[in-house]
Parts: sequence; C-alpha cells; structure tokens
Amino acid sequence: MLATVRKQLRSHPALIPLFFFIGGGAAMSMMYLARLALRNPDVCWDRKNNPEPWNKLGPNDQYKFYAVNLDYSKLKKHGPDF
Amino acid sequence: MAHPTQLGLQDAASPVMEELLHFHDHALMIVFLISTLVLYIIVAMVSTKLTNKYILDSQEIEIIWTILPAVVLILIALPSLRILYLMDEINDPHITIKAMGHQWYWSYEYTDYEDLGFDSYMIPTQDLTPGQFRLLEADHRMVVPLDSPVRVLVSAEDVLHSWAVPALGIKMDAVPGRLNQTAFVTSRPGVFYGQCSEICGANHSFMPIVVEVVPLEHFENWSSFMLQDA
Repeated sequence: MLATVRKQLRSHPALIPLFFFIGGGAAMSMMYLARLALRNPDVCWDRKNNPEPWNKLGPNDQYKFYAVNLDYSKLKKHGPDF
Repeated sequence: MAHPTQLGLQDAASPVMEELLHFHDHALMIVFLISTLVLYIIVAMVSTKLTNKYILDSQEIEIIWTILPAVVLILIALPSLRILYLMDEINDPHITIKAMGHQWYWSYEYTDYEDLGFDSYMIPTQDLTPGQFRLLEADHRMVVPLDSPVRVLVSAEDVLHSWAVPALGIKMDAVPGRLNQTAFVTSRPGVFYGQCSEICGANHSFMPIVVEVVPLEHFENWSSFMLQDA
C-alpha cells in the first residue's frame, strides 16, 4: 500500500502537504488523548492500587497542558491537611 | 453594559476579557479577509469572458490552497489555545464571594471575614429613577475591590441558572448541588451588568447581575455598612 501511495505522490506532489497537515493533526490529537488518559488525575486505571487519584492533588503539580502566566513551583497549599 | 445598536463586545473590565477582545478582533479580521477574497473570486468568475474547458488539474495551486488555509488555521488555533489555558488560571484570590442563584434573584455571600449575605433583586421598571437601566439594575450590587483577584463560587438553590458578566468575560453555570469556581481581576472601576444565562422559569430575563468595582477603602466602608444594616 505504501508503494502505491509513493507512486501516486510522484505524479501528484500536491498531496504531500495534505499528508503532512492531516497526519500531523491526527498525531497531535492522539498524543493529547494519550496524555489525558495517562496523566489526568480524573482517570483511574488501577482500582486496587491507586483507586482515587483525584484525591491526591498537590499544590505544585501542573495537570494542564500549558501554563501561560502561573508559575506552579511557587504555589503554596492553602487548605488544611487531612 | 451594552449600548443600543451595539454590534461588538463590551469594553473589557478585566485583563482576560481584553485578551478575548483582541482574539476576537484577530479572528474576525481573518474571517473578513477570507470572505472578501471569496466574494471577489465569485464576482470574477461570474463576470469573466475567459473560459477554458480543458483544465484538469494543477499541482501548484493545489499546494498553495492546502498550505495557506492550514497556516491560517494554525494562526487562529495558537492564540485561541493560549487564551483557553489563560482563562483557567486562578492567581491566589484575595477574596471569595459565593453567588447563589434562586428563582428569581441572586444572593451573594461574603464569608471570608464576617458573615455578610444579601439578596439582589431586579429593580422593577416602574421603580426606576431617571438614568437607571431597564431590566438591568438591581437593588443590591455585588461590590468588589479594584485590582484584587476575586474568586466567585457559583451555585444554585433550586433550578439551573448561569452567572454571566460580559464585561469581565465570565459566564459560569449555577447548578444545584454543585460548586463552580471562576475568578477575575478588575482593571478599572465601574459598574458592570450581566443577566442570568440559563433558562430558569418565568422571570429568567428579570434577574440581572450587577458588579460594582470600587477602590479597596470604599469596599471596606461598604462592607461595614452592609454588616450594620443586616
């Protein structure tokens, strides 16, 4: 199948940017989905050893993908310790 | 508040809303450019005397009209994502206010230091004084200090409501049994209006939100006065 695509690309080079952008977009979305699945504290994979990861949030952890203005290392915990 | 015949967004009263305004200008400019280009092409196609019936394909133009729209989309997406993450950041609020939605009024609780709570009903049209805004004024305004980060916890006592103030770029649903958090910093003093933004019954259009931003000393005087009054 790759050989067919390569042959078609030689006669229609305009398809190369298409592959690049669509492939890049799909790759970025899949990577973000994987990041959410593995790093988001709202997701629980192991009910026996790590049952409720959303109860273990630290004040310095950055869970979001991008921090614009906030420096997470400087944050302090305001609530009481249970 | 909105002026009559206003088309665009209200003037920003917080840095986040300013960012939203600029992003809106950026995206709208791109939309206008593309629409003008398409309109020009349509007019040119319809009025041209040149017709070539034998063009089958062209690799060069295909490359151009793949790469250029992709670049335009990236130029829209990057500022958009930046603002999306910016809006979620809550920078150490100085004060927390609870806004509770009821049918059909809002109540505000300032419980950080003392127990201050009051209801905010719309001023009926027949009771307005000259200069007041119809369907927007409330008897008690939510007063906040200028330049201080404020956290608002929004919830509801009966049905769904939504706490919205366009000048601050805020809209947060008030769900019974749920606490929703939003925060803002105000960059200029003034009075900013909003309206309930989730259908909640007969008087859904008649429960406005009024935020009054004043310097800190005035805020302290106001809260002492409200506590005495209660």
